[in-house]
Amino acid sequence: MSEVPRPDDTPPGLYDEAGNARFFADPAMDRFVAVVMNMAQEMWVQEERLLALEEARGAAPVDREAKLKAFLDRVFAPIRGA
Amino acid sequence: MSVELQHPMNPQKTPDEAARGRFVSGIRSLILNDLAADMKAAYDRRAAPAYERAHGRPPQTSAEAHKALRGDPAFNIYSAMRVQAQKMVWASVADSVEREAGRLNAAAQAAGGKVQLNPALAVPKNVGAIEVHLMPGSYTRGGDSLEAGAVYDRGLAVFSMGLMGANLDDIGLSMSRYIALRYPDFRPQRILDTGTTIGHNTLPWKQTYPEAEVIAIDAAPGGLVYGAARAAMQGQEVTFMQMCADRLDYPDASFDLVWSSMFLHELSKKQRASALAEAWRVLRPGGLMLHMELPPNAEMSAFDGFYLDWDSWYNEEPYYKGYRDEIPLENCVKAGFAAADCFQFVVPSIGIYGEQAIADMVASDAAEAVGQATTGRLAEGVMWFGFGAWKR
Repeated sequence: MSEVPRPDDTPPGLYDEAGNARFFADPAMDRFVAVVMNMAQEMWVQEERLLALEEARGAAPVDREAKLKAFLDRVFAPIRGA
Repeated sequence: MSVELQHPMNPQKTPDEAARGRFVSGIRSLILNDLAADMKAAYDRRAAPAYERAHGRPPQTSAEAHKALRGDPAFNIYSAMRVQAQKMVWASVADSVEREAGRLNAAAQAAGGKVQLNPALAVPKNVGAIEVHLMPGSYTRGGDSLEAGAVYDRGLAVFSMGLMGANLDDIGLSMSRYIALRYPDFRPQRILDTGTTIGHNTLPWKQTYPEAEVIAIDAAPGGLVYGAARAAMQGQEVTFMQMCADRLDYPDASFDLVWSSMFLHELSKKQRASALAEAWRVLRPGGLMLHMELPPNAEMSAFDGFYLDWDSWYNEEPYYKGYRDEIPLENCVKAGFAAADCFQFVVPSIGIYGEQAIADMVASDAAEAVGQATTGRLAEGVMWFGFGAWKR
C-alpha cells in the first residue's frame, strides 16, 4: 500500500512514522488498548465454549447477545465516563 | 447484534469464528453508542468550553471540533478502541474466507452470473492502493478471485450490527422504495449502479423495477466476480462490468437511472466531479441521477460533522471530509443539471421502520426537510441521506 493522502486541513502529529493513527502521549498505550481488546475477545470465545458445553449437559439455553452485552459492560466499565 | 447473511455465500462459521464476530459487533456497539455518548459529554463539558476560552468562540466547524477534542481522554479511548475494532472486523472473517475458498468457488461457478472484467483497466489508487476502512488489501485483495468480495460481504455483516439489513441491502431497499412511491410515473428501463462493490445495494433496484436492465460497475475485479455470483444465487439478473464511474464506456443518453451508494466519498474531488458529469452525459432526458451518501457538513453541527469526519483522519477514508465539505446540490449543477431539478432527502431505514414509514414520509413531503435533526449519525434512529437530479 502506498502513502495515504490526508484531508487538506489535517493537523500535524496525528500519525506515527508508519502512518498509524496515535492517540496517547505514550505510543505504547495505543498498542496496549489493542492488546486489551484482543484479550477480551479471546476471553469471550472461551465464554461461548463454556456456554456450549453447559448447554450440551442440560443447562438452559443462554441468550448470547444479552450475555455479551453484560460481559462488555463489566469488562470495560472502568473506561466509561472518561 | 451480528447478522447472518441470507444467501448461500454466508460463511459456515466455526463456533470460535461465530464468537469472534459476535464480540466485534458487540464491542462496536459499545464504542458507537456508549463511548460516543461519553465523548459528546466530554466535548460539551470540557473540550468546547476550553476551545472557547482560547479562541473567544466555540468550535464552528468539524475541524475545530476535532482540534478541541484531540488529547481529551474520552476522545483518546473512543478513537483507539474504534480503530482496533475496525481492524478486528476484517480479522474476524479472514479465516473463514480462506478456509471456504473452495466451497465458494464451486458455488459461484454453479450459480453462474454475468460479469465482464477488463484486465486492461488501470485500477485507480483510491480502489487498490489505499487500505480503505483499514481493510487489508483493500478492494483488490486476491485480484479477480472471490476473496475481496467475500471479505467485504462478511466483514460488513459484522460491521453493520444489523443496521444494514440481512443482506446488507437496506440502503438500496429504502431508497428504491422511496423513489417508487415518490415518483410513481418514473419507470426506468435501464439502470446503472456505479461503484457497486458486491452489488448489495444494486439488487433492490432490480427487485423494484424487474423489467429494467440493470448494470453494476466497479473498478475492482474481485468484488464484481463475487457480486455476480451473489446476485445469481438470489435469482437476480444483473450484469457486472469492470469500469470506472468517471470514464464510462457508454454512449450519451443510454440510461434512465444512474445510482450509487456510499461511493462518492471514496473518490478524489476530480474523480467525483467527473463521475457526476458522466452520469449527466449517459442519462436520457427524463432520467434520474441518485446518490445515497453521507450528509454534508453544512447540514450538521460542528461536533456531528467531526463525528463523521473522524473516518477521514483515522479510518483510511482520505476523501471523506473533502466530500462532506462540498455542497452536493452545487456539484449537481456543475455536472450539468439545472438547479431547479436537484433535490436532497432523507429516508427512514425500511428494515427498522418498515415500508409504511417511507410511505408516510412521501405523503408528508417530510423527506426533503434535510437538517441537523435528521441527518447525523447521532440522529434518532437510522435515516439514509440522498441527493439527486433530473435530466430534462
